[in-house]
Amino acid sequence: MTVAVCVAVLATGVACQYVQSTAPGPATIRELPPLPGQTTGVFTTARPTFGAAVNDFLNRRPEAQQPIEFPHNTHVGKGVMCEFCHEGVDKGPVAGIPGLRTCMICHDAIATDRPRIQQMAAMRDKGVDLAWQRVYGFANEDHVKFKHAPHIRAKVECTTCHGNVAEQTVAQRSVEHTMGFCVNCHNERKASVDCLTCHF
Amino acid sequence: MDRRAFIKLTAVTGTSAALASCGNPENQIIRFLPAEDIVPGVAVWKPSVCPLCRAGCGLTVRVMDAEADVVRDGQPGIVRISAAKKLEGAPEHPLNRGGLCARGQAAIQVTYHPDRITQPLKRVGERGGGRYEAISWDEAISEVVLRLNALETSGSQRSLAFFARSGASHREALLRQFLARFGAPAPITYELFGDLVLRRANGLSFGREQLPTVDLANARHVLSFGADFLGTWNSPVAQSVGYGQMRRGRPGVRGSFVQVESRMSQTGANADEWVPARPGTEGVLALGFAHVIMAEKLLPASNAGSAGRLIGGWNEGLADYAPQRVEEITGVSVARIGRLARQFAQSRPAVAIVGGPPLAHSNGLFTALAVNALNTLAGNMGQPGGISFTPQLDVSAAVKADGPAGAAAPTLAQLAGDGTASGSTPQVLFVDGANPVFTTPPAWGVREAVEKVPYIVSFGSFLDETSVLADLILPDHSFLESWAEALPESGANVSVASVAPAVMRPLYDTRAMPDVLLDIGRRLQRPLNFPWQTFDEMLAASFGALRPATADVDAWTDAQGKGMWSGTLPAALTRQSETTPGAPGLTYAFEAPRFDGDAEQYPFHFLPYPSSTFLDGSLAHLPWLQEMPDPLTSAMWSSWIEINPATAERLAIGEGDVVEVASTQGTIRSAAVITPGIAPDIVAMPMGQGHRFFTRYASGRGANPMEVVAAVTEPTTGALAWAATRVRISRVGPPDGRLILFAGGIRENVGQGR
Repeated sequence: MTVAVCVAVLATGVACQYVQSTAPGPATIRELPPLPGQTTGVFTTARPTFGAAVNDFLNRRPEAQQPIEFPHNTHVGKGVMCEFCHEGVDKGPVAGIPGLRTCMICHDAIATDRPRIQQMAAMRDKGVDLAWQRVYGFANEDHVKFKHAPHIRAKVECTTCHGNVAEQTVAQRSVEHTMGFCVNCHNERKASVDCLTCHF
Repeated sequence: MDRRAFIKLTAVTGTSAALASCGNPENQIIRFLPAEDIVPGVAVWKPSVCPLCRAGCGLTVRVMDAEADVVRDGQPGIVRISAAKKLEGAPEHPLNRGGLCARGQAAIQVTYHPDRITQPLKRVGERGGGRYEAISWDEAISEVVLRLNALETSGSQRSLAFFARSGASHREALLRQFLARFGAPAPITYELFGDLVLRRANGLSFGREQLPTVDLANARHVLSFGADFLGTWNSPVAQSVGYGQMRRGRPGVRGSFVQVESRMSQTGANADEWVPARPGTEGVLALGFAHVIMAEKLLPASNAGSAGRLIGGWNEGLADYAPQRVEEITGVSVARIGRLARQFAQSRPAVAIVGGPPLAHSNGLFTALAVNALNTLAGNMGQPGGISFTPQLDVSAAVKADGPAGAAAPTLAQLAGDGTASGSTPQVLFVDGANPVFTTPPAWGVREAVEKVPYIVSFGSFLDETSVLADLILPDHSFLESWAEALPESGANVSVASVAPAVMRPLYDTRAMPDVLLDIGRRLQRPLNFPWQTFDEMLAASFGALRPATADVDAWTDAQGKGMWSGTLPAALTRQSETTPGAPGLTYAFEAPRFDGDAEQYPFHFLPYPSSTFLDGSLAHLPWLQEMPDPLTSAMWSSWIEINPATAERLAIGEGDVVEVASTQGTIRSAAVITPGIAPDIVAMPMGQGHRFFTRYASGRGANPMEVVAAVTEPTTGALAWAATRVRISRVGPPDGRLILFAGGIRENVGQGR
């Protein structure tokens, strides 16, 4: 019976695809009424909902919903290098998802007749950026410290970990970043497999 | 309920809880276009200046991309910003040389504090109630201009008062200019632990009304009278760097260090020898040492020069300060006096430092003069391993501002006492970075005086005891969002002027206080005609007058990149200290310190001391500092009273017991910490806690020792003699969890410290 209860609860949690992100902050001790514009919530590492906790525990993430159907295939096909837009990739730990400003470097002049580009120009005029969602990444609980730059220096191809983006529009998680995947490559290339190389 | 029913119920509630938690479609996040180009994940280090105390240490700030919650046109969303993430000491800065104290490390929290004031506010409801409504900057500044115009029309410019933070800076120079041009008296810069007495003594002894720079790095022996120079006094990081060098930076030479004080401070805990003297008698001990040195002809008495002539009987070998009498007064034995005197005279170079509690008595000036005389007897003035004075930039000479000279500022006690200092009670009061309602004894009546002011404007970023009385709040940028600068008074042999541009864009709708002043000056009916439109024009004018360090770049550009300028100042740009000359031929002799409360009824000396985390309480809003254990007691998130074990046993007080401290002024309650590092007739309490209003972290936590401190002053300077109160203590109850110790305590009960 107890097992059944647990299974039921877990299953319900797993069934949840969405988590509510705006949880009310806990009550705080204060002597004075809050000032206008002041935040009242206190940061907490706890999950906002039970469903979110279960999803997190099972390393389940909802499919990324991108604001526009960005055509990676077109851009790669035209010979735009990855690091032109993901400019942090050879400089630091994160490659970075480019904002609208990066798009408009070219698209102020190129393909300005396309409706999607015009839509982006309108967003820029309103001061709104593209709200990309992350596709890859490790959960905090994995205690992984991944740095892009050393991999680029070691001449690892982007496709090794990100699949053939030239055949995708918006990026898909086509390669699962399991520990085995990382260690295999490290072994092949005789890179360090010391725990502390990748883990905190 | 049986077991089966319980399990069923659990299943039902668990499932519904899980169901309730899902199915809500994720709100579409709005992302705004960032205002700057940011490379993600790449750190940039930018210079800045620590604002938390007068020392003015140089910072280097790690800046990286971050996401900030913002509201634009009523629409909440996220924007990528480059944000300051970590503060470190600037490696090339001549003061701190890469070091930074724990308080400086926590300064980052000033910017991201959840209770920061984010926009101009106007009071609604009764004064002190803390209810405010948002108004626009334009409305807010118009309102101030209207008030100042009204003063001008009625010819009462002198009734504008200004509470400002102390310490030389361009900001302070601009403020003085503003007040002088308007016709108001100079700003009131009260600081509880402000070293006024030592400055005055240095003016008399050496003609420099300034805090000394101690060359600890080259000293062989340090004799400190109460100065917590590694913790809170003067320029602690510069002094710690020098101290490290003295102790173990020279192969084969380890400098020795003796600390004279009646409560062991963080600095005293590092000493080779800790000498408790009776409170207020440290000057006698210094002269006792001088007596032995002269009597045994270890050093020539002629060394002491003008500093010695100020001491009565110096030329006669200080007959009044023979070891026998010194023992009677101070409680330090004759043998020990002789030994310490010989050690001081025979270790060359030796240096004496004085600061803190010994000067916080009615005879503090005498004590400081006595130690100054001892220093000159050792012949260490301006010598390696001795005392010197850092040349300071004269801002008004550098910017060639020849506005009218301002009237002298009234002291806080005068202002509160009778309102006679400036003719009448101020009609308009500006408050910038000062909280005198919290840091003055109740007998001064500062709170009552401030409440009487018809219109109060605060530039503060947080509501504290003083700014909660404000009618209008014009929040300043944090130091990371605006020009940061300081003109350090002490800590280096060369002149240092720290300056750095903003390291990040403002997070909120705040404005830099100097720019607001300039704006107000332009909009008055009689404009104040400043030669600068913005604060950075003033800074550029000032640094432009300095000698460049290298030939290929000017001083202003160079200083912005490095976060400071340092070098030799031409005489025309060096600040002449405003020395108050003593009467010619006047000599000083020991007078017994005056204490409030009679010894029968109030048997203990009460020593409020600067907290190693909060200083005078101005940093109690930073949660990292609340969380930082006191180095000697390991207490955190709370306040406490230090009691000697013998005293505690006599009064049946145990560790953590709730104790009541009563003086002629009032009573406070706090938890007892039993510690051997305090004389049996003294109880000590750190400043800093006991805030009524100071953000969610400090409000209503602990007790404020100032509530029992009496209004005894040092007569020549008017400085508060904060160590001159007598109290009685009594146990009122068992430990109730209000004392939170890091060592062996339960850390989760921080709410009980309130």
